[in-house]
Amino acid sequence: MTATFRSWTRRTILAATLAGALTGAAITHAAPATLLNVSYDPTRELYEHYNKEFVRYWKAKTGEDVSIRQSHGGSGKQARTVIDGLPADVVTLALAGDIDALVTNGKLLPVNWQSRLPHNSSPYTSTIVFLVRKGNPKGIKDWGDLVKPGVSIITPNPKTSGGARWNYLAAWAWALKQPGGSEATAKEYVRKVFSNVPVLDTGARGSTTTFVQRGIGDVLLAWENEAFLSIKELGPDKVEIVVPSISILAEPPVTVVDKVALRRGTRDLATEYLKHLYSPEAQDIIARNYYRPIDPTVAARYENQFPKVNMVTIADFGGWTRAHQIHFADGGVFDQIYQPH
Amino acid sequence: MRLSDTHRVRSGSRSKILAAAIMMSLGTASVHADELSDLRQRLDAQEQQIRALEQKLEAREAGGTTTTDTAKLEEQEQQIRVLERKFELQQEANEAAAKSAATAKASPKGFSLASADGRNVVKFKGNFAFDGRWFLDDVTPDTADTWLLRKVRPAFEGTLYGIFDFRLQPDFAGGKSIILDAYAAARLRPWAVIQAGKFKGPVGLERLQADQFNRFMELGLPSQLVPNRDMGVQWSGAAGKGVFTWQLGYFNGATDGISTDSNSSPDVDNDGEKQWQGRVFTNPFAQSDIYALRNLGFGIGGSYGDRLGSPTSPLLASVRTPGQQSISVYRTNTATSPLNNATYADGDSVRWSPQLYYSWNNFGLLSEYVESSQDVSRQISATETRSDTIDNTAWQVQLAWFLTGEDESYSSFDTQNPFRVNAPGWGAWELVARYHELHVDDAAFIGGANSFSDPARTPRSISAVGVGLNWYLNQNVKWQLDYEVARFDGGAAGGADRGDEKSLFTRFALTF
Repeated sequence: MTATFRSWTRRTILAATLAGALTGAAITHAAPATLLNVSYDPTRELYEHYNKEFVRYWKAKTGEDVSIRQSHGGSGKQARTVIDGLPADVVTLALAGDIDALVTNGKLLPVNWQSRLPHNSSPYTSTIVFLVRKGNPKGIKDWGDLVKPGVSIITPNPKTSGGARWNYLAAWAWALKQPGGSEATAKEYVRKVFSNVPVLDTGARGSTTTFVQRGIGDVLLAWENEAFLSIKELGPDKVEIVVPSISILAEPPVTVVDKVALRRGTRDLATEYLKHLYSPEAQDIIARNYYRPIDPTVAARYENQFPKVNMVTIADFGGWTRAHQIHFADGGVFDQIYQPH
Repeated sequence: MRLSDTHRVRSGSRSKILAAAIMMSLGTASVHADELSDLRQRLDAQEQQIRALEQKLEAREAGGTTTTDTAKLEEQEQQIRVLERKFELQQEANEAAAKSAATAKASPKGFSLASADGRNVVKFKGNFAFDGRWFLDDVTPDTADTWLLRKVRPAFEGTLYGIFDFRLQPDFAGGKSIILDAYAAARLRPWAVIQAGKFKGPVGLERLQADQFNRFMELGLPSQLVPNRDMGVQWSGAAGKGVFTWQLGYFNGATDGISTDSNSSPDVDNDGEKQWQGRVFTNPFAQSDIYALRNLGFGIGGSYGDRLGSPTSPLLASVRTPGQQSISVYRTNTATSPLNNATYADGDSVRWSPQLYYSWNNFGLLSEYVESSQDVSRQISATETRSDTIDNTAWQVQLAWFLTGEDESYSSFDTQNPFRVNAPGWGAWELVARYHELHVDDAAFIGGANSFSDPARTPRSISAVGVGLNWYLNQNVKWQLDYEVARFDGGAAGGADRGDEKSLFTRFALTF
């Protein structure tokens, strides 16, 4: 009887295992592939448009559905969120330094991530301009006008915002190029700039809200695309763009977050998602959202949209790692010069 | 903007700012009190300056305004907007911080730490019972009159990722340390909860009731015939918003009334045979408008498997009287070596237990019946072994009545007026009564000296009536007093009736 019962037991275990497997299969029903794109503040509209294009493109190419979710915030803050566990398949942040943090602090992708896609993994560029009130009542023409008495400046916090870091470095670059310009004069100039900042938002979109919707400040140091977008939304009778004598070439990079994408089985899809940013269709969407396309043909088509600007690059600061250490790390120049109001 | 417009806007702004300030102060005072206090002071200063400017403007209204006044007002307007924006950003920051901050809770329901999204939780719980036992009869030994720590059970339980539950509960009572519950469960779907580890086997109704809701200090006689805590894997689920529930598990197979920690080799299978245990239960009116029947529940539990003991490891349990005195159901070894003539489990073990509870307003009822059938054998000589199936049965009816009007329930109660010192509130008072019986199969006594049970030691039946008074000072603290009389059919020398057992138990219990 014992042998019979043991045989019965084996059969029941087999049946239970099979039932469990079937239950599991029923629970994990097939669903369309999903991607999470963790980006910085002002790219909301760009990626809303681009995601639709990519979904269409992917369906036509493979017949598969894909669902793409977006997350936006200050670039530095977004990077920390991904390091803390937000499962981003791709990141499209404001500066390479924030993605480098994913390498050094999160071990989420390889060191050579920036060489994996063309143009240092930056499918579009932008720069920093001034947005002032209609008629430019404070007569702001260049960086030097920002530190005149009574000028109120709106810019986000460089500790949390990639755009703010570009703002900061552009101001620093201008000060260095002034007659007698040195590290000391640049530091003093930037100190004065930030002493005229009444509110530090955590991201560029927050600063735009502060300036445009809350009516605070005389000038907004803004991403070029953000400035154009404000004019488009508010109308040219409310605000206008001032292009300073010198600005900085912002190269917002993109990359697959390998560790997450491998775990989720989305690495190939995520790579295609980013590669398609370089296609003519995507480059056109990029230009229509006021980012500067890198495709020469598309760039030529939108040549008149973007003003000519004399620009420095991050290389002039020794790269993002060095710029971060000197200016934005804890105890860096920004911590030394900024006093909250 | 004209000055009159500015004036109106400013009045509106001030109201908005003050409202925002109050909201901020209330909502975030504990988080950023210093920053808010600073902002409030600056806001008050702005308010005073604006009031002064407005007074000046009103005085000059007839003669027009100056450019200086306008510039000053615009400057003030900017400052107000800045303060407003700072409030707004502070609020956003506080809300963001609240979203990611873990929350610690301490309440009568327990102590817990939870992640901001509530998907990861750890709770610290406990169950403490200190009993006094007195016997008002001449049968029970005087040594049974005692104070004792009946339950000393701290518990850690929690949830990971929103679906994986765990529980670890040791018991340090009785001068020993055992693991009472240790399991993990995955709540995949309402109908698919997979649980593995050590926990109560899903057969007996009163046995499955949480300790703090048991009406009597000790469980009724039916619980002597169902498994207590067992080791295994269980599938459970619910359908129809709790109208139907079920459990089906594959266990090592605890013997009647005990946990696997009482095995001669604790918490492992002692015979290599497994046991299916399961239960289906329904509360058919739980979602209906017939309130009088909403708390009616009934179902059936059962188990099936083999139990293969031996004369040296019989795998047959004793029973406990209502006064918790142990009585052997089956004969132990009385032969001289090498023969061992103890009765032992030797084959099918089957239980079934129809069960029911009902409550309406402050009245509650619980009833269950258990039949436990076990194939047993006994070696009566070097060449002869007797075998048979013994069907032991038990049943009980239990009544409860909250004198203070609280609603009775199988799994909850709410003390309407918790006990307070120097204030009104006497807690909840409950009267309870029960009648329960246990019968040992007549077949166990057949065969004279070769029977499986000894009529001089094992009663053919136990019947008991008990009454009790429960004082729930609040949800966590209760005091109990139970008086119970048990009568025995047989069980004494010469097959005479064992004397009545009259037990008076009291308990101070704390559960959180």
